[in-house]
Amino acid sequence: MQPMLHPLSGDTSDQAPSLLMIGIDHRCAPLALREKVSFRAEDGEALMRSLVTRPEVREVVLLSTCNRTELYLLPQEEASAYRMALSDVFLARAPEIESEGRFYVKRGSEAAQHLFEVASGLQSMVLGEPEILGQVKHAAAASNSCRSSGTVLRQLLKRAIGAGGRVRRETALGSGSVSFGYAVIDLARNIFSRLDSCKVLLIGAGEMSRQVARSFKEKGIRDLAVCNRGGSRLEAFHALFPDAQTVPYDDRQARVADFDVVVTSTGAEEPIFHHSDMRRAMQLRKSRPMLAVDLGVPRNIDPQAGDLENLFLQDIDSLEALIHQNLRRRREEVPRAQEILDRELARFQDWHRSLAAEPVIGSLQRWAESLRQRELAAARKRWPEEVAAEVDAMTRSLVRKLLHHPSIELRTGGDSETLQWARRLFRLEETPPQVETTKDGARHDRGSDDGDG
Amino acid sequence: MTAQQLDVALKISAVFLPMLYLLVAVGYGFYFFAEHALAQRAAPLLLRVTLALHMTQLIMLGVRWQQFPAATVSQALSATAFAIAVVYALVEWQSNELATGLWMTTLACFFEVLSSLLYTAKPPYQEIFHNPLFSAHAGFGLLGYAAFAVAASYGFLFLRLYSEIKRRQFSVFFGKLPPLEVLERMMVGALLAGFIALTGALVSGAVWANEVFAGNWLMDPKILVTIVTWVFYGLSLGLRRLRRWQGRQTAIASLAGFAAVLFSAVAVNFFFTDLHGFV
Repeated sequence: MQPMLHPLSGDTSDQAPSLLMIGIDHRCAPLALREKVSFRAEDGEALMRSLVTRPEVREVVLLSTCNRTELYLLPQEEASAYRMALSDVFLARAPEIESEGRFYVKRGSEAAQHLFEVASGLQSMVLGEPEILGQVKHAAAASNSCRSSGTVLRQLLKRAIGAGGRVRRETALGSGSVSFGYAVIDLARNIFSRLDSCKVLLIGAGEMSRQVARSFKEKGIRDLAVCNRGGSRLEAFHALFPDAQTVPYDDRQARVADFDVVVTSTGAEEPIFHHSDMRRAMQLRKSRPMLAVDLGVPRNIDPQAGDLENLFLQDIDSLEALIHQNLRRRREEVPRAQEILDRELARFQDWHRSLAAEPVIGSLQRWAESLRQRELAAARKRWPEEVAAEVDAMTRSLVRKLLHHPSIELRTGGDSETLQWARRLFRLEETPPQVETTKDGARHDRGSDDGDG
Repeated sequence: MTAQQLDVALKISAVFLPMLYLLVAVGYGFYFFAEHALAQRAAPLLLRVTLALHMTQLIMLGVRWQQFPAATVSQALSATAFAIAVVYALVEWQSNELATGLWMTTLACFFEVLSSLLYTAKPPYQEIFHNPLFSAHAGFGLLGYAAFAVAASYGFLFLRLYSEIKRRQFSVFFGKLPPLEVLERMMVGALLAGFIALTGALVSGAVWANEVFAGNWLMDPKILVTIVTWVFYGLSLGLRRLRRWQGRQTAIASLAGFAAVLFSAVAVNFFFTDLHGFV
């Protein structure tokens, strides 16, 4: 993705305000720059609260993760909102962003499409990674709680979250592990019927072991043990995983049979498990399988042990092969994911287009209701109370039925010319065709957020 | 329904049932290879519809000819296909696991296609099929064959996944099949069910043969091969129980045992036996 500089060149003030997004991500900015414009949850909420009070802005949502910071705006006036957001949110923290062209701007449907792609993991550093959907949900919840999003952005986020969920459910974009930790989980999941009841032994307490431990903890493993020669790394490990048991280093060979998954990542020059150690362990385990993952270089487990029945020995190369294969499979899923996003985006655009018809439909309903009331008031003088009540109910139903199809037609196919015709046809008062959203999130348009219109 | 109407319905079902099984297998294939959400919903539903129609066909066969619906090779194969599909549907219902559907329904489809190819409109009248003891014998036998076929399929999938993880070469099977422990459990469960059914078939067959033949029936080649198969399965389960055999050996045994079952059901039946000439 090429960063865009000042895409709002030229006077845009005569155009209807459209969705606007300014962002910075892992593709156009290094970590050093990204962390400068990254917002913690409470800072992000404060920013949204402050921005939504600005006259240039109608609605605003901030999405800030470790790989991206993106500001979605529904501006009151596009050019000034763009200048304000860029300078207040990005340049104030990292002025070099502008000179180096390390940000991007998208408008209208491109901005909406971008958010859909972000929510589904298509824009992530690791294609299809699942955390981003949760982060988009958090951003939506935060903007709701600080009342910075209104009808349009709330609907956009809702649709993006829905689209991301569909991509996750209906494609294999998020399937297969793409990190060492999850690759070990993937292997274990293919061997053991219940991952949460597996006993896991980590030999070595360095970064690799921590990564694997984190993955296992996320999957609900309770029985985690660590074994390390030195004390300081072990303490650091226990600080992160206080529930983990400790197996003394010298007991490793005697205790290894107790564990279903053994992950080694030590810097030992010689194997710390010989073939005979593993054979004895497998004899003790009888018919229960064992997954042994050797992440050490040089290897910590004698490779010959891989021949033992029911012992599944993997090394760093096999894990890398698995990760590459999964990434390739994920890339193959991109066209299917894109198809889903296109359909969801079209639905959002239909809804967005229908918003322009709301003022006309509102006027039409008010006009019909006033006509009905006028005629009813005249009739009430002539008829008894119970007859008037009957007529009231009947005319209310009649008006509703008469306006049903015209309202649907205006919402689904109401271009500006059709809307003008409708105004002239019914002599409706002129109402500007604009989206009626408010900064406090209150609605002044039709129905609820849920409808497609 | 008149006899003529039943004949027409049976002929139609002989054409449509293999097609339905094929459609079910394709549905499970779509789920397995493409993880298609529609296939995930449609395939189990279609399997249930197919099973209902198949059961109707078997009932119609019983009503039309007033005998146990295994009087011909075609009928026996169809009953086996039905039993395989029922066993799988029960496993799926209990485990909510669709990943092995492709293999099991393909197996059922294979038996049903064979059955249709060998279809005869009018099976020969067999007095023995009216004997309840013999019906129990044939029913147990077919159920046993179906269970051993299911066990062999799970054994094949187990060996495939086992060797992929061992050899560190991960294909499309990896991550899509149930874990090895689950496959092993399913395989051993099917073996046990098959062994019990085969025991039932041998016992009921022995009692019935004693009544009818009262002679040297034990030396019939089919019976000898079946007894050897029964002993083999029994030994496999025993060794597994004693933990002398692990998953891989049991999986190989399930495949070898099923090869013996096929040999017993096809070659011995056709070429070596007089006693089991009725199927």
